[in-house]
Amino acid sequence: MTCEECLESVGPYVDGELSVDESARVEEHLRSCPECAAAHGRLVDTSSQLRSALMRYEAPDVLKARIRASLSESGQDVGPRRVPVTARASGGWTRTIAAAAVVAVVSSGLTFAVLRQGAPATDLRQEVVASHIRSLMPGHLTDVESNDQHNVKPWFNGRVDVSPDVPRLDSLGYPLVGGRVDYIDGRNVATVVYRRRQHVINVFSWPAAAAAALTPQLSSSHGYNVIHTRRNGEEVWLVSDLNLGELKDFERIAFP
Amino acid sequence: MAEQQVGRFEQLVLPHLDDAYTLARYLLRDEHDAQDAVQDASLRAFRHFAGFRHGDPRSWFLAIVRNCCYDFHKSNRIDRSSVPFSDDAADEIADPRATDDLVLEGSESDRVRAAVDALPAELREAIVLRELTGLSYREISDVVGVPMGTVMSRISRGRARLGAALGAGSRKAG
Repeated sequence: MTCEECLESVGPYVDGELSVDESARVEEHLRSCPECAAAHGRLVDTSSQLRSALMRYEAPDVLKARIRASLSESGQDVGPRRVPVTARASGGWTRTIAAAAVVAVVSSGLTFAVLRQGAPATDLRQEVVASHIRSLMPGHLTDVESNDQHNVKPWFNGRVDVSPDVPRLDSLGYPLVGGRVDYIDGRNVATVVYRRRQHVINVFSWPAAAAAALTPQLSSSHGYNVIHTRRNGEEVWLVSDLNLGELKDFERIAFP
Repeated sequence: MAEQQVGRFEQLVLPHLDDAYTLARYLLRDEHDAQDAVQDASLRAFRHFAGFRHGDPRSWFLAIVRNCCYDFHKSNRIDRSSVPFSDDAADEIADPRATDDLVLEGSESDRVRAAVDALPAELREAIVLRELTGLSYREISDVVGVPMGTVMSRISRGRARLGAALGAGSRKAG
């Protein structure tokens, strides 16, 4: 192999694109030619420098929510089309919720808890997931934005029946983002917002109608993981696109 | 059934949203443009999903994302940057926009990012798909729609320019 041939093949060699025979010929040449070996070294350096320094992006929650919302709208239409976010957030919203319900029922392999809970829990779950998706639209995440529980908890006084627990969990990797009031099940409910990396976690809570405690019920709807639990006389719903394992961890930490 | 179609699409295509968004961020070099392009691409992909039968869903989706980025660029952002979006000859032009993103001046990743942003789009996309997304030459050829030989040469030229720009090529042999 000539140096020219070697320099042509050294890129595909580094990328694992050569056959065993071709690789062997390149290696043989590299062992005997310091100049080509240096070129090979520079190539490997550049490649690893790129891999370690360049950012791999995660698609933001709000983008995923926009896509999922428009997909479920498209799934209902004969001719899907793009709907501006603003129009969808107001006018098309009921349809999005209806579509979310359809998706939730279809993906019943993932919905363990809901079947046992019957219709009311299913309806509630649709409502909290819809609130979650809505919260991801620009400007809807928080009414009070603060990473300090001493700002967030008092803010709820007078706005909801029972001010929620707002544990501080930054040190565990779940920074507090803030709070807002949502309208679920015909009442104002407290929503506390946390974050895990780029994932938003919404924690909805309101006074429970039933007294019995409920062990955490896991489910998945419309691409989001949902945990429902009842403790100390409060209904608590957690919704996030965080993976279920970490969401369960969060539930255990936040509501020990 | 439309609902089944949504479910299948969520399973096969949506897991690649991060790769799609990464490609769009590097091609359009703007956060909001990238989000819009990926949303367009997802809907376009969904519309054509019934016709997708075989092959790799990731390459298929990334090809659509790439087309959306190019369309997006053509219609919205022609005069945004001094670097021609597609011009192999634009070796020496530095992209002034690249420096806008610098948070910590002179940090390693900013330097590398600026060098990649300054590449012409053909080389930049080949580098991103190879080094960040980890696609094979065959897959890149499917995404970009050029022969494998062209993919090979673009990756090679991209690395050579980056190596030179980042100083790795300062001890040139021979």
